[in-house]
Amino acid sequence: MAPPQLVSLHKELQHAFNARPCDLQKCGLLLAKLKIGLIEAGLLVPLGDASLEDLVIARDVLEIGAFWSIRSRDIPSFDRYFSQLQTFYNDYSTQLPPSPREYPIRGLYLIRLLTQNRIADFHTTLESLPLAADSLTANPYIQHPVNLERWLMEGSYSKVWNAREEAPVEEYKFFVDSLMGTIRNEIASCEEAAYESLPMKDAGTLLFFNNQSELLSFAQQRGWQVNLTAGTITFAKKGEEKLEIPKERLITANLAIARELEQIV
Amino acid sequence: MADVEMKPIDEAKKPSDEETKKEDESKAPKPVSPAAEIKSNVALIERAVSSLEPRFTHRVLRTLTALRKKLDERVLREAIESVYTHPDSQTKKTLLAWVPAASAGEQSMDVDSTPASAPAQKHGQQEPVPEGEIYLRLLILHYLLATPNTHKQAMELAHETVQRMQSLNRRSMDPIAAKVWYAVERTYELGGQLADARPLFLSAQRTASLRHDDETQASLINRLLRSYINYNLYDQADKLVSKTSFPASAGNPQFARYHYYLGRIKAVQLNYTAAHTNLQQAIRRAPLAKTAPGFYQAVHKLSVVVDLLMGEIPERSLFRQPVLEKALSGYFEIVKAVRMGSLSQFQSTLSKHAAAFEADKTYTLIVRLRQNVIKTGIRRLSLSYARISLRDICVKLHLDSEEDAEYIVGKAIRDGVIEGRIVHEKGWMECGSQKSGYGPEVSEVFTRRIQYCLELHNQSVKAMRYPLNAHRKELAAAENAREREKELAKDIYEGGGDFEDDGPDIGEGF
Repeated sequence: MAPPQLVSLHKELQHAFNARPCDLQKCGLLLAKLKIGLIEAGLLVPLGDASLEDLVIARDVLEIGAFWSIRSRDIPSFDRYFSQLQTFYNDYSTQLPPSPREYPIRGLYLIRLLTQNRIADFHTTLESLPLAADSLTANPYIQHPVNLERWLMEGSYSKVWNAREEAPVEEYKFFVDSLMGTIRNEIASCEEAAYESLPMKDAGTLLFFNNQSELLSFAQQRGWQVNLTAGTITFAKKGEEKLEIPKERLITANLAIARELEQIV
Repeated sequence: MADVEMKPIDEAKKPSDEETKKEDESKAPKPVSPAAEIKSNVALIERAVSSLEPRFTHRVLRTLTALRKKLDERVLREAIESVYTHPDSQTKKTLLAWVPAASAGEQSMDVDSTPASAPAQKHGQQEPVPEGEIYLRLLILHYLLATPNTHKQAMELAHETVQRMQSLNRRSMDPIAAKVWYAVERTYELGGQLADARPLFLSAQRTASLRHDDETQASLINRLLRSYINYNLYDQADKLVSKTSFPASAGNPQFARYHYYLGRIKAVQLNYTAAHTNLQQAIRRAPLAKTAPGFYQAVHKLSVVVDLLMGEIPERSLFRQPVLEKALSGYFEIVKAVRMGSLSQFQSTLSKHAAAFEADKTYTLIVRLRQNVIKTGIRRLSLSYARISLRDICVKLHLDSEEDAEYIVGKAIRDGVIEGRIVHEKGWMECGSQKSGYGPEVSEVFTRRIQYCLELHNQSVKAMRYPLNAHRKELAAAENAREREKELAKDIYEGGGDFEDDGPDIGEGF
């Protein structure tokens, strides 16, 4: 049985977390104390036979911790909480009652992978979800990142832009900014390849900028030539790539083949 | 997926020519009863142990699948009776205890027809080697697994057998042990408790790798991968692969499975090129389509999807093969949709076959194809038009808005799918000329193919077997030749020539 001190700390944490506005600093302090308590009780990484209520408490603490780290914008800490939660979600899934926060947290993790462009990890995580593949879209928390990924891959950036306000949980919005940064860079690289020049107004809409100054600083960052009088942006022309014959590689390949043939004959 | 995939592959251990003769009972002049076959197998195992030649054991294990179908309690009883001739042998009693009692009538009828009592005397009162016992246990286990109501017994037997195997700890037992592990896995899987077996497999795998027990190691790595993938634990599976090395001496069937699992992991991780290579290997190493249709189909299903994801269209002839035609029908329609670049057709096919794809665990992979469909569509448009308005692209590809079309085309240009430009003011796309297809990449492809052929050659040289001591004779012949050459050289030298006698290197190759 968990020590009573742990239970009371947990109550306090719940209280502090649910208060509006949420007291981040206090939560942080409580979380640190609780984690030590959990380690002492052998619950942080559950070993042996812990009672169900204790496990639920431990899971709850970690879940609050995950949300807390997003609210205080501490992404590495979110990663840690998420990997600690994995045990509860995967290995104890049959014993523990399902947590209402499980899918929001999993969804958040997926979005986080998207913002970092870790698409391979994204798909691995998606595959390991304990849901049937065609019911993925039925779960609002999971559907959101799944749709975002699909649109990103297709290039339907405007849909991503429009979906940013449709986040199913408050915390999803914390990732929106960095996601938008990723998208803008994607679009910019597409534009560089696809256009010779663009009217500034259109470039602004394409990149989802509301005013000109933002666009100008962005253009400067990417090294675009801005013609203010004509109101156009000209993209730096990449010189025609000179076709070079990789001599050295060809020679080594041929030598290797010759050696192999020599061995056979 | 579970059943079709593994079982048939076992038939990979199809008998070589000599065994087919033995098995083909209708043709053989004197049919061999299964019990007698087991008996001769045990004799072969003994020979393998005494001559330290695992080849014989392998030969026995190759007949396992065929034999498995003929097993019943009468056969097993008979076989045990004839192998353990000593009346109060302890092993015999324990073994018999596992075999369910047969009806008395059947037993008495067949006792006389056993032709195997004569050679049994040769071994006298001596107890057969423990390998034989484990082999018999394996047979009983397979028999118990065949019917679901003996599952509990099978589980007990599996545990006992594993303990016995580990306490005996004999290297000559390894090939049989590998098979036993397979049976153990089946036991757990049929009971739906595959996850519980993982700690057992992991510890056994460590032991096996410490003892350089290649067969068991290969078998166990596959067991573990299967268990991870069954529960969608791709992360763990990937870590297992990176932490272990698959023994190079493992048999083809094990390799085929291993490559299949690797292909699956790589495909999930978006590493399609690697997945493609692995699946190719799996297909090449897999047994003939007719002997193991389940595995063949499973690999091809995955391979078709991976091909599509790489932007390649599988050959049509693949879908006409009799074994694959029916199983791949859903995939064929997907391929058609991707080839046409039609999103609506793709979506309708996807929803129509969703259940089948879900069962094959390829659904999520196929969903990823959506972007490929769009890309193919754009590519087709860019080939057929010199200039096309974004509005038309939007209509033709069933996209939601012109705005989307612009972004999508932009991305396609950046990704190098098409050559062209967007003229934003006029709202159209101008398609540039295609790159000429002749450059350094041609030589790269060529080199890759040559390398593949060379690799194949080297592998086949390595795979050749030589009978022991057969080279002695040739060595002697080479020695003679060298003598002759020396004499010849001497003659030439004496005749005024000025060559050096390097000594011919005929013998070097041996």
